[in-house]
Amino acid sequence: MPVIERGDVGHVRERLDSDFGTRLKDLRINHGHLDVIVQPHDLVELVTFLRDAPGLRFRFFTFLSGVDRSAFGPEDAEDKPHPLEVLIHLYSPDHVLHVTIHVPVDPADPVCPSINRVFAGALWHERETHEMFGIDFDGHPNLSNLYLPEDFEGRPLLKSFKLPSRMVKDWPGAKDPEEAAAGGR
Amino acid sequence: MAIDQQRVGDRTPVHDPAEIAKIVSGANLETEQMVLNVGPQHPATHGVFRLLATIDGEVLVDAQPIIGYMHRGYEKLVEARDYRQITNLVSRMDWLSGINNELPLHLCLEKLMEIEVPERAQYMRVVMLEMNRILNHLMFFASFGAELGAITPTFFAFREREDIQLALEMATGGRMHFGFFRPGGIREDVPRGFFAQALKGVRQVMARLDQYEDLLVGNEIFKQRTIDVGVLDKEIAYNYGVSGPIARGSGIDFDVRKDEPYLVYDRFDFEVQSAPNGDCFDRFWVLVREVVESAKIVEQAIEAMPSGPIMGKVPRVIQAPAGEVYVRTENPLGELGFYLISDGDRRPYRLKIRTPSYNNVSVLPHVLKGQMVADMIAILGSFFFVLGDIDR
Amino acid sequence: MIPEITLTAWQILLVKIGVILAIVPTMTLVAGYAEHKVMAHLQHRLGPMYPGGFHGWAVLLADGLKFLYKEDIIPERADRRVFSLATFAIFVPAVMVYLVIPVDRSLIVEDLDVGIFYLLAISSVSTIGILMAGWSSANKYALIGALRAGAQLIAYELPIVLSAAVVVMLSGSLSLVDIVEAQNWPFLIWPPGIGLIAFLVFTMASVAELTRPPFDMPVAESEIITGAFTEYSGMRFIFSFFFPEVANLVAFAAIGATLFLGGYQPIVPLGVLEVIPGFVWFTLKTAFMVFLFLWIRPTFPRLREDQLQKFAWKVLIPVTLALILVAGAWVLYAPEALR
Repeated sequence: MPVIERGDVGHVRERLDSDFGTRLKDLRINHGHLDVIVQPHDLVELVTFLRDAPGLRFRFFTFLSGVDRSAFGPEDAEDKPHPLEVLIHLYSPDHVLHVTIHVPVDPADPVCPSINRVFAGALWHERETHEMFGIDFDGHPNLSNLYLPEDFEGRPLLKSFKLPSRMVKDWPGAKDPEEAAAGGR
Repeated sequence: MAIDQQRVGDRTPVHDPAEIAKIVSGANLETEQMVLNVGPQHPATHGVFRLLATIDGEVLVDAQPIIGYMHRGYEKLVEARDYRQITNLVSRMDWLSGINNELPLHLCLEKLMEIEVPERAQYMRVVMLEMNRILNHLMFFASFGAELGAITPTFFAFREREDIQLALEMATGGRMHFGFFRPGGIREDVPRGFFAQALKGVRQVMARLDQYEDLLVGNEIFKQRTIDVGVLDKEIAYNYGVSGPIARGSGIDFDVRKDEPYLVYDRFDFEVQSAPNGDCFDRFWVLVREVVESAKIVEQAIEAMPSGPIMGKVPRVIQAPAGEVYVRTENPLGELGFYLISDGDRRPYRLKIRTPSYNNVSVLPHVLKGQMVADMIAILGSFFFVLGDIDR
Repeated sequence: MIPEITLTAWQILLVKIGVILAIVPTMTLVAGYAEHKVMAHLQHRLGPMYPGGFHGWAVLLADGLKFLYKEDIIPERADRRVFSLATFAIFVPAVMVYLVIPVDRSLIVEDLDVGIFYLLAISSVSTIGILMAGWSSANKYALIGALRAGAQLIAYELPIVLSAAVVVMLSGSLSLVDIVEAQNWPFLIWPPGIGLIAFLVFTMASVAELTRPPFDMPVAESEIITGAFTEYSGMRFIFSFFFPEVANLVAFAAIGATLFLGGYQPIVPLGVLEVIPGFVWFTLKTAFMVFLFLWIRPTFPRLREDQLQKFAWKVLIPVTLALILVAGAWVLYAPEALR
C-alpha cells in the first residue's frame, strides 16, 4: 500500500478506476475534488467501498442533496446535462480528500437507493431531498416531510416550481444596475 | 486546566430502558410511558425546535427531533437573487455568526471567477471571522450555563461580548448581520481605532476566561451534571457528519482551518482543541478553549496586518462562469459548505448549503436514548445549535 | 404613662391577624428586592434602578401591579376547583409560619408549647398545594414538576426535622422562646460543638426545601418551566409561586436564626450588647441568613433529580442521625455542660 499524500486526489482516481473501472463514468478532478458519476444500482456498493477501503476512508458524511438540471444553460444547447441527479459529498478526514458523487436518476420515475445503512447521517438529508425534489429513496424507513407542512403541494427545488413573487414580477426587475445605468441614473 | 485522558470510576450509569423494565416488573410496579412534547416553544431549545420525547418516569425511552418551524427555503430563494443580494440572505442562517456565513459564498465566487483577493482584505476577514467566532462561543458559554441552572456566567459572558461587539459595529455598522464581505474583498476599510478596540476586546477575554472557566468547569456540580453524560462516539460522529466543537469533543481533531487552510489561516499559530471522551463536559471544554485560540489568531492577524487595497480586481457585474465548486469553511459550529453550481448567470443555478447544525442535530436521537430528562437539557445545550442554521 | 388597654380575646386575635398580614407582605417585598439587588451585584450589574427613583426600590410593587392587570387564565382541561384551591393551600401556610417566630423576648404572636413542631408541620403543608397545582393543571410539565417537588420536599423534610431535633434535645423544650433562652453559649452557632454541622445541614436542607438553586429542579425554568406553576398566570402566579417562595425564604431564615444563631439574643452575652433591643439582633441574624440563601443562588448550577435524592438520603440524613446520637449521649451523661 503506497503512502498517500494529503489531498492526493489523483490517487483516489486511480483506485476507483481500477476497482470500479467501467461502472463509473467521467472521473474528473474539479477544483481539487473528485467528481464521480455512478448509476443508482451501483451507488451503495461505491459508497461502502469509499467508506471502508484502506487508504481512502471517506468516512465523514458531508451532505446529500439533489440538482434539477433541466433548465441548465441555453435552451438550444447541444450537450444537455442529465436533468435530475442526486448529489453526495464525502470527505476523508484521514487523507484530506473530497469526492462528489453524482447519481443520475430518471426524472419520470425518480428512484435512488438509500445509503442510510452506510451513512446513518443521510437519513435526514434523504428526507429533505425527497420533499424538495420528489426523489424516492429505496430502503429509507420514513420519507415523511422534514420541513414542509404535510399538505404542501409541489417539489419546491425543482425548476418547474416558481416562487410566487417571481411569477408576478419576473427577475430581474427594473432596479437592476445595468438598466439603471442605461437610463442615465 | 488539563483534561483527563481517561476517566475511570464513578461513571453515571446510562439508564437502559430494558434494565428499568426489569426492575419495574420485578417489583410488580407498572409504569406508563408518557409522550412529552419539548417545544416548539421551550426555553432549552433556543428557538422553535421540537423534541418528541417518550419518557418513562424521568428516563427518555425515545427522542425524535422535529425541525422545520424556521424553514425559510434559502436554497430556493438564492436561485432568484443575484450574488450581492445573497450575501445578506445567507448571513441570516446562523444568526449568531453572521459574518462566518457570508464567507463561503465569496470563496465560491472567487474560485469560479478566479479573483485575486488582496492581502489586507484577507487579514481583515480573518480578524472579523475570529471575532465573530468568539462572540458565538461566548453566547453558547452563557446559554449552556443557564441551561444547567447557573445564571451568573450569562452576565459575565455578555459583558465580555460587548467590547468585541463594539469593534465589529465600528467597522460594519451591524451587530448581528454584518454584510461586510464582497466578492474580491471587503466592503470598506476599517475606521481609525478599530484595531485598538478589537485588541482590547480579545485581550480582555483572554485575561478573564480562566476565571469564567473556573466558575463552570471547575464546579463540582457542573462536573457531576456533564461528565459521562450524552456520550457521542467518534465513529458515529463521522457517520452522521458531525463537525465543529461537538466532533472535536468526541476526539476528532479536524478543523478546516488547519486541514485545508483558506484565506491566510496557514500563517497563524493556533491549535486545534480536542477532547477524547465525547461527553457534555468535553464538548463544553473544547468550546471554551477555542475562544482562546480565536483570540490568539486575532492578535496575530492584527499585528501582521499589511497595508494596501481592500478590493481585488472585480468586474462590475458579478457573474460566475459556468462550473461547480464546493467550498467548506470552519463555521463556529462546524463545517459550513456551499456547493455552488453556476450556469454563467448573475444568479446561482443551484446553491446547496451544508450547514453544521443540521448534521449535528440529526445525531441527537442516538445520543438522547436512555438519558434522564434533566440530562436531555444538558445534552441539548451541549450540542450548540442555532435553529436558523438547521432549517435554513 | 401608657393608658392601660383591656382587650377581649377576639380583639387581640384581630390585632394579631392584622399585624401578621401587614408584616409578612412587607418582609416579602424587602426580601424580594434584596434578591434582585444581591444577585445583580454578584453578577456585575446594577439590577433595577428606575422604579420608585432611589435604586429602583419600588420594582416589586410595579411588578405586582403588572401581574394584577394580567389575564387570569385557567386551562380548559384543568380541574378548576383544585386549580384555584392550590393557591390557598400554598399561600396560607407560608403566612402561618410567622405565627410562632419569636422576634423578641415578648414579641411573638403565639408562644406555643409545641412551637417548633408546629413550625415544621405547617411549612410542609404547602407540598400538598404544589401537588394539587401540578395535578390539576392538565400539563405534563406541571405534573413532572409537582412530583419532583413532592419527592424532594419529603427527602429534605427529614434532615430539617432531625437537625431541629438535635436543638430540641439539648434545649429540652419544644417552645421556640425556651429554645432561644437556652442558647446562652458564648458562641455564634448553637448547640456547642455539633452546632456547626447541624447548622450546615439545616441550611442545605432549607435551600432544597425552598426549591432554590442548586436544588431547584421542581421549578427548573430551563427544563420544566417553573414546574407545577407552568399554567398559572397573573395574580394567581404571584400568590402561588412568587410570594410563598420569598415568604418561605424569610421564614426559613428566621427559623435558622432562632434555632442556631440565638434568635433575639446578642451574638455574645456581653452587658454592653444587651442595650441593643432583641428584635434588632433578630433582624440582623435573619438578614444574614437571607443573604446566605441569596448568595447560593447565583453561585451554583443545578443538580439532577437523582443526585439530589442521593445527597439527601446518603449524606444529610445519616449525618443528622449521628448528630442525634451524640446529642442524646450528651443529655444523658453530661447535662450540666449545657448550662
